[in-house]
Amino acid sequence: MLEIFIGILSGIISGTGMGGGTILIFLLMYVVGVDQHIAQATNLVFFIPTSIIAIIINLKNKNIALKSAVLVSVFGILGAIIGANISIKIDVNILRKCFGIFLAIIAIHEIYTIIKLYKINKIRNNNKEKV
Amino acid sequence: MNKATQIGKNTIDMRNIIKKVIIGLLAGIISGLFSTGGGMIVVPAFIYLLNMEDKKARGTSIFCILPMVVTSGIFYYKSNYIDWNISILCAIGGMIGGYTGAKLLKKIPTHYLKVAFTIFLIYASYKMIFK
Repeated sequence: MLEIFIGILSGIISGTGMGGGTILIFLLMYVVGVDQHIAQATNLVFFIPTSIIAIIINLKNKNIALKSAVLVSVFGILGAIIGANISIKIDVNILRKCFGIFLAIIAIHEIYTIIKLYKINKIRNNNKEKV
Repeated sequence: MNKATQIGKNTIDMRNIIKKVIIGLLAGIISGLFSTGGGMIVVPAFIYLLNMEDKKARGTSIFCILPMVVTSGIFYYKSNYIDWNISILCAIGGMIGGYTGAKLLKKIPTHYLKVAFTIFLIYASYKMIFK
């Protein structure tokens, strides 16, 4: 039951495009208490059905740049083979620390975009006042 | 078209191909390593490096990440890291969450969500690096 709830929460966050996967993995590790590799594998299965639906909708709405997508996908598969093999062989404590560093980098990027959004809104409000 | 502009066009084409190759490889490695985070690289890369519009970048990113996820999944499966019980429960929750989230999120301003997600990222990264 807890797993379904975690899935729902991550699904809602995924809809915003903010990375529901990070939340899913984190909650599985620290709330359910599963091993990081199993939490990550769960995220892979979790991603497939929802993304297939999203791809069909996006194809219909012509929101996919197919030519770019094919090239990125081919090299993405190559990268995934490298990444997955490193992940499987690496010590789980090192993997966890690497994941933490990756999350910190994303956090910095998010702070940067929040500041940018804030500035844009401020300029807009100033312009409104002038009018 | 004269020769100079033809050469100019070719170098731009070549640059874009190299950019796509690097985006694919990097996103694939991250995707394989952590099973998540591919989108967090691909979406900003499409917007900033390939000048794609926001909606198209998101649509294209899901299309690119699915093959990376399936590839990683094969390696995780071979290493017996997939717990089908947890995975299917989370995937069911994910579909419910994805569906309800799409309707719910139109009512919540995105910058509040962004701030909440950033606080989560900082907390999660701290916990993973130092504990």
